[in-house]
Amino acid sequence: MKLNINTTTQPAKRVFFSKNMFSSYGTIIAGIGIILIFSLLSPASFATLDNFINITRQISFLVIIAIGATIVMSVNEFDLSIGAMASLGGVIAAKMAASGLPLILCLLVPIVTGLGIGFITGSIISKFKVLSFVTTLAMGTILGGFTFWFTGGSTIFENIPDSFKYIGTTNAAGIPLLSLIMLVLVFVFWFVMSQMSLGRRFYAIGGNEKASQVSGINIAMYKNIAFALSGMLAALTGALLASRLGSAHPTGGDGFFLNAYAAVFLGMTVIKSGVPNIMGTLFGAAIIGIMANGLTILEIPTFMQNVITGSIIIAALIIQKLGRDS
Amino acid sequence: MNLLTIEKLTKQFGGNTALNSIDLVIRPGEIHSLIGENGAGKSTLIKMITGVYQPSSGNIAWEGQTVQINSPKEAQNLGINVIHQDRQLVSYFTGLENLFLNHPYPKKKAWFGIDWKAMKREAQTLQEKWGMNLPLHLPVSAFAPAERTLLEILRTMMSESKLLILDEPTASLTDKESELLFSFIERLKLQGVAIIYISHRLEEVIRLSDRVTVLTGGKLTATLEQEQLSKELLISKMTGGQEIERKKQPQTNRKNNEALLKVRNLRTKDQTVSNVSFHLKKGEILGVYGLAGSGRTECMEAIYGLRKLESGTIWYQNQEITNASPQKSLGNGMVLIPENRHGDALIMKNTIRENMTLPILKSVTKHGIVQRNIEITKVQEEMKRFQLKAIHEDQPVSELSGGNQQKVVFAKGLLSNPDIYLCDEPTQAVDVMTRLEIHLFLKDQALQGKGIIYVSSDLHEILEVSDRVVVFSEGKTVAELDNAELQPNDILDICYRLQKEAL
Repeated sequence: MKLNINTTTQPAKRVFFSKNMFSSYGTIIAGIGIILIFSLLSPASFATLDNFINITRQISFLVIIAIGATIVMSVNEFDLSIGAMASLGGVIAAKMAASGLPLILCLLVPIVTGLGIGFITGSIISKFKVLSFVTTLAMGTILGGFTFWFTGGSTIFENIPDSFKYIGTTNAAGIPLLSLIMLVLVFVFWFVMSQMSLGRRFYAIGGNEKASQVSGINIAMYKNIAFALSGMLAALTGALLASRLGSAHPTGGDGFFLNAYAAVFLGMTVIKSGVPNIMGTLFGAAIIGIMANGLTILEIPTFMQNVITGSIIIAALIIQKLGRDS
Repeated sequence: MNLLTIEKLTKQFGGNTALNSIDLVIRPGEIHSLIGENGAGKSTLIKMITGVYQPSSGNIAWEGQTVQINSPKEAQNLGINVIHQDRQLVSYFTGLENLFLNHPYPKKKAWFGIDWKAMKREAQTLQEKWGMNLPLHLPVSAFAPAERTLLEILRTMMSESKLLILDEPTASLTDKESELLFSFIERLKLQGVAIIYISHRLEEVIRLSDRVTVLTGGKLTATLEQEQLSKELLISKMTGGQEIERKKQPQTNRKNNEALLKVRNLRTKDQTVSNVSFHLKKGEILGVYGLAGSGRTECMEAIYGLRKLESGTIWYQNQEITNASPQKSLGNGMVLIPENRHGDALIMKNTIRENMTLPILKSVTKHGIVQRNIEITKVQEEMKRFQLKAIHEDQPVSELSGGNQQKVVFAKGLLSNPDIYLCDEPTQAVDVMTRLEIHLFLKDQALQGKGIIYVSSDLHEILEVSDRVVVFSEGKTVAELDNAELQPNDILDICYRLQKEAL
């Protein structure tokens, strides 16, 4: 229901064909293009239902950790400690599993740990008004050190019961549990960010912190919540990865950090206003996952994969910038 | 031959005329002051002379030749330099490095290294020529404010400068430092450099100027010769010389005379507000006037809870407020319409709906979920009430005109159903119609028993809307006047007299 209100002078026009559209659909078109190219080059191994399901499981870790990054970026901050947090979450889960604790605790303890540490990080940033970029980098270093101390620097794999591997390896009706967990989390956080007042306040702070403050929003509290959620999701990612692998390495989650932000930035190019958003992040992670999957099937060496993936991200950013400047 | 001749210069922004057909002549070696209230068009005029803005119509001639100045760089090439109110210096560079900021460093021929000795020599010659003795080896952060100003002036003398524009150069200087600057300005004049001097301080203007040009509301009111100058004359010219039209009907409802808000001896931590006391009654519009830098905005922010207090008390309906914060203020029924609309009031890329309901999000939320239907109904009601010119409620506010953006700000304020409006320059950069609508809206709110604080640097506007006027100067409230027979001169007299005493 749109209401036309007193349009006596020239109303602002909605432009239907412009570079703006390109910024909204450019990434999507590129995504479809990538799928088409891989399907043509390798119809027998890439373009199969099995491989598609496989991809959803492969990207589930990246999607979950990137949801956290999306939330922190929605309040216009960065959390660079998510990789280290995932590593920590993984070793906590594996260590607990190895000492025979039930699966539910092995997931719950890392989640609560991530939530708590994230909240502390957020409090430092909002209370002392220090840069999140540097603070979370330092926090990541602290967590990394702690993880090494905790593990003695070695991989935890002995005495891990099969029950712990249940979540990471089971399929329900042909669909991996990991993929289902990912979909549920995507839906939940999409709902929070787009339909709830919490998300509205996050975006308001990210859009204009001062105006949000004037409008009576408790900036510090909402930033703390954002960092807590990010820490929680990162730690959960690590725990799920440990369950998938049946082991945990003290730097096992570190590699997610850059890809998570790549996914968020790709996702920001999907919608016109260019803000971090959950569905966009899912899409961005999917592109990164599909690229990795397809290039591996085509037996492209890893170093070349990195070059191609990096180039695609830069291209998407440029397209978005061109669209927004118009 | 005249150095600079300006003929029929006009500048329009959208539908607003910022400068209307200005004729002005600057002679070589004269000190020509430019005075006028805030918003009279001084800075617009300067920006056209220095190539920041292009005139909408009219003619600029430099040394007899018609010129088009397309950029500040082109203005500098002609020999026009401006010293802005805020310093254009790199504070951790030394004075020497800052001096050469716009100039190529002298190089040693052999290996392209910087020839520091040549730099020092050049700087020393320049200092001697202009009779300065600045500690150029120190970083600028160690310079006194006056030294920074002098360094900037010296820098403009690195190239041949024929016209120097000084924008409020004494604003941050002490009395002694100002004297130092004045003696230097006299020296520049003797060397044949023309100076356009902009200041609120009329004593300085009278003392220094060969001629004074007065701007009022974008028009040139008068250009006066040195022997004519007097403070009374300048003030009367600045206020347009005429008495403003008084609307005799009672503007607002003040029968109750109950104090809604009282502040006493307010002092902020940053000292921008040092001693403010006033009260706001139910059903009145209280005008707040002060020259730039008088602490008006800062005081509003302190009352609203955006700026930390050092001492002083705020009572809201006889209840003392401690640790004020925007959340508390909104809860108490107080809204702030900030001066900086883009920076402090609106989230530009968000929609009208998202902006309007931000402070009242709780009231349209059930179990944490935003009830979009309720929200849209509320927003559409306000859009109708304020006759907002927009396509629909989901249009980003960045696409609206300035006036309509300000309406969104007011609608947002009204939605939280306040008893007190703190309006800081609410009609800044809005069109005439919207300005009128905002006045009518506020008068109507006052009639309903709300209290309104109306900060404006437009004296005529203050007198037009206010029941009473509080005058700010140097962070203090210095007068509280009943606006029955007030004239612009009365208020300006107070401002300028106090400024002189402060010097």
